[in-house]
Amino acid sequence: MGLLTGTRRRRWRSENTETPDPRQQLNQKLWMLRVIVLAAFAVLSLQLARLQLMEGSKYEQRAELNQLRIVPVVPSRGLIYDRTGKVVVENVPSFSAAVVAADIPKNRTLEIAGGIEKLLGVPALETTLRIEAARKSNDPFTPVIVKDGLDQATAFHVREELPKLPGVQIVVEPVRRYPAGAVLADILGYTGRVDEEDYAILKGRGYLASDRIGKAGVEAAYEKYLRGATGRKEIEKDASGRELRTLDEDPAQPGNDLVLSVDLDLQQKTTELLQAAANGGQGAAVVMDVNSGEVLALVSLPMYDNNVLSGKIDEVRLEQYLKDPKKPLVNHALAEQYPPGSIFKQITGAAALQEGVAVPSTTIVSRGYIQIPNEYDASIVYTFKDWRELGSLNFYGGVAMSSDVYFYYLSGGYHAYGEAFDGLGIDRLVEYASAFGIGRPTGIDIAGEADGNLPDPAWKRKTFGDDWRLGDTYNMGIGQGYLATTPIQMVRVTAAVANGGTLLTPRVVREVRDASGHVIVPAGPKIESRVPVSPENFAILRDAMTQAVSWGSAKAGAVPGIEVAGKTGTAEFGPRFADGSYETHAWYSGFAPANDPQIAITVFLERGVGAIDAAPVASKILDYYYHRPQQNAQGGAAPVGVTP
Amino acid sequence: MNLRNTPTREFDFVLLLAAVALTVYGALLIYSGSLTTYGSPGQALSHPVSRQVAFAAAGLAAMAVLSRIDYRLLGPLSLALYVASIASLLFVLAVGASAYGSRRWIEVGGTQIQPSEIAKVCTVIMLAKYFSDNEEKMRSLRVFLVSMLIAGVPAVLVLVEPDLGSSIVFGVIWLAMVIIAGARSLHLLGLFAAAGALMPVAVLGIADYQRDRLDIWRDPGKDPLGTGFNILQAETSIGSGRLFGKGFTHGTQTQLDYLRTQTTDYVFSVGAEELGFIGAMVLFALFVLLLFRCVRVAGLADDAFGRLIAVGVMSFILFQVFINIGVNIRLVPVTGVPLPLVSQGGSSLITILASLGILQSVLGHRRKRGRRT
Repeated sequence: MGLLTGTRRRRWRSENTETPDPRQQLNQKLWMLRVIVLAAFAVLSLQLARLQLMEGSKYEQRAELNQLRIVPVVPSRGLIYDRTGKVVVENVPSFSAAVVAADIPKNRTLEIAGGIEKLLGVPALETTLRIEAARKSNDPFTPVIVKDGLDQATAFHVREELPKLPGVQIVVEPVRRYPAGAVLADILGYTGRVDEEDYAILKGRGYLASDRIGKAGVEAAYEKYLRGATGRKEIEKDASGRELRTLDEDPAQPGNDLVLSVDLDLQQKTTELLQAAANGGQGAAVVMDVNSGEVLALVSLPMYDNNVLSGKIDEVRLEQYLKDPKKPLVNHALAEQYPPGSIFKQITGAAALQEGVAVPSTTIVSRGYIQIPNEYDASIVYTFKDWRELGSLNFYGGVAMSSDVYFYYLSGGYHAYGEAFDGLGIDRLVEYASAFGIGRPTGIDIAGEADGNLPDPAWKRKTFGDDWRLGDTYNMGIGQGYLATTPIQMVRVTAAVANGGTLLTPRVVREVRDASGHVIVPAGPKIESRVPVSPENFAILRDAMTQAVSWGSAKAGAVPGIEVAGKTGTAEFGPRFADGSYETHAWYSGFAPANDPQIAITVFLERGVGAIDAAPVASKILDYYYHRPQQNAQGGAAPVGVTP
Repeated sequence: MNLRNTPTREFDFVLLLAAVALTVYGALLIYSGSLTTYGSPGQALSHPVSRQVAFAAAGLAAMAVLSRIDYRLLGPLSLALYVASIASLLFVLAVGASAYGSRRWIEVGGTQIQPSEIAKVCTVIMLAKYFSDNEEKMRSLRVFLVSMLIAGVPAVLVLVEPDLGSSIVFGVIWLAMVIIAGARSLHLLGLFAAAGALMPVAVLGIADYQRDRLDIWRDPGKDPLGTGFNILQAETSIGSGRLFGKGFTHGTQTQLDYLRTQTTDYVFSVGAEELGFIGAMVLFALFVLLLFRCVRVAGLADDAFGRLIAVGVMSFILFQVFINIGVNIRLVPVTGVPLPLVSQGGSSLITILASLGILQSVLGHRRKRGRRT
């Protein structure tokens, strides 16, 4: 019985509870959990102790040398070609000596700095300070340049000594070389090392502190195309920081190439001709395609050699450039502004025709001057001179002979001594000047363009605290007074006259191509706006400018075999001399062929007379352009459209 | 006498302090690890660290709320929570499939949420509920298999993402809970035997990227720039920290950005490099304290439901700590799991702090053995 009951009881118990005390069993399991926790951390601690305590020095050394390193791969900057396919910018290697602080054993710093002094003449103290600074910085692995612009022989000599100098490197980096030098310097600009202040911003765009960046001209304006993208290379180094092997590479993307609209031969010739006329002074000449806005030549005098500023800067020559009062580093074709003188009559003339102020037959007599009495006191009389007594002139004659009196009438009108002629007035004159792009940058793809100055009554009141007078309007009508323009603005005015009113944005870069030759930014005109003057009126103005060259004041602009239209300008500036005269700038602005305009040209010389000094230069440039010997380069190899 | 229904109002401040200390430890390492990416100290503070602090605040708020609510209310909700978390895992897979083919996150209001982190807690609650409902039938094979299925569904879903690390976490949660709940040794032995027999199949079947990781783990030199680069650099970082470390924010490896994901999966190596073996031991001590307090909750819980939640939460924290640090010190193959409370990332931080809130509730809502008033 007892046995039976016992068995039953046991079965009953075993169905409900496994062991006599579940609480105790649970506690056992929880203790097991605690043991597992401790065991897990014991295992981790042991492995950690092995790494940090037993083998710590090995890893410390490894961290110090850090054999695996990620270094940037500098992309090759895009090349630049002229419009006929000639290379105008090359990348050439430049050697510099650098130190990598992390690779220099601490106790050998002085010894290594001394070695550098012996080899390169850089004071040991200077190098030591650089190494110490780099060591403390966030990034002791980036090479710090101690001397750049090493010649190849020195670089090779230093390289032989490197095994004795752990942490010293010869850094080879591409720098720009400009084969055409000064001839294209004002267009191409140059590159230089990133400034420290700029680096703060550029860092976020993938630039490195040691990078070079476009600083002027096309190099600056097309930086984003030329640069390419920096790559990364993972390399293994030996104990002294020398690269043993490349483990992996995310290659750099080369920059895009540019094709200039500039024709190197024409540029060269334009430079020579302008130099011959400028006599060492300032000058500028721009040749532009009137249909596309492409600049075929753009010269600024005096010139500078951009090779001096690229790579290792030639401090002596740079100092000379900076001290030269003629400012060779300034692009006089677009960064300096001058009164345009009579070439501005293109605008006054077009406005007068469009506004009905003048028709071709409008006749005005120039007695060599006009006089207007003071509004309040008729005994005070102001005289405005013509450049000569020119007699009776219609519109063609007024433009052809560049009569100032004719344009005084058109701009300000004349209401005195019984005559009554309504002119444009300052408001309409400003309106048209602005429509022709005066007073603002043209948007040419070269950095540093000046605005010029388009004065109006509000501007005069603000600047001088004085009212706008009739005389101010007269002066502006003939391109004098407070008006200031750049040669690039004026060539675009002439191009607009030539093409019938399309105001183009001038460009020196024709197209952008990627490294494999695919066009990224295609060629094509960039139109800013349309000048509100009818085609008929432009035709009249073109006729008048053609007559200026065929029989008028711009005869020196004529080109044998080609009918040319043009306008001279002689702009007074500076203080008045005792005889009442001024120093003058010489201008010429014209286009050819007169009946089917293709190119516009503007020539500016700091000192001179338009008809005598500027017009002949333009004539010779156009003569070269149309009659130069047939070029071989224009065969099948030419990358872009053929120039005439 | 209504002793039975008097809550003990007990709150484990030691558990809270250990969790806060670990979170602060993590925020400091995230700050140091972000210096290079965010340039200035100001930005490093403002961006990843302030976000982490905001997540911690949200997590602590969740902990406070959950500790006040009777954890038993989670019982009836457990199935709904579990189904919702499974749905969110499916949603990630669906969205991921159309977008990148592999994704672990979903975007909600500009913040990335990692549903697998939430699914871990929901699975713990579901299993706790299931086991406590079947306390008497723990020895049956049916319960054993059904519970395995409960953990298996989310495990498979995250494995497909693919996230092997989290998948194993589900397995470990189940294993710890089923043992504590009282499964039959025979079933467990049978399972291990089956697993052993299937091992070769599994090795062949695991995704290529996982096998590559295994190979690289054995020989990091094979792919020094990919995953191997990270393994070698982590090892170098940690080893070079030695006893005292290189000083906070002065780790040469960390500050040169040698490590990828150094504020998330490799945050431990930042600490080991800059704070050394001693700093790591402090971290270990905090984790041991935290985990012991979790075990204590399991011991004090007055029902199986509360006890099993505590065990589940404790086991997944322990396992993730072990795997994460093990990867850092090359003890286990590379598996991407965050270091609980320390790694940068809101989903994991908030989930764990909230889970600890449930544990506080288990402690604070005991009816029997309450303090006599």
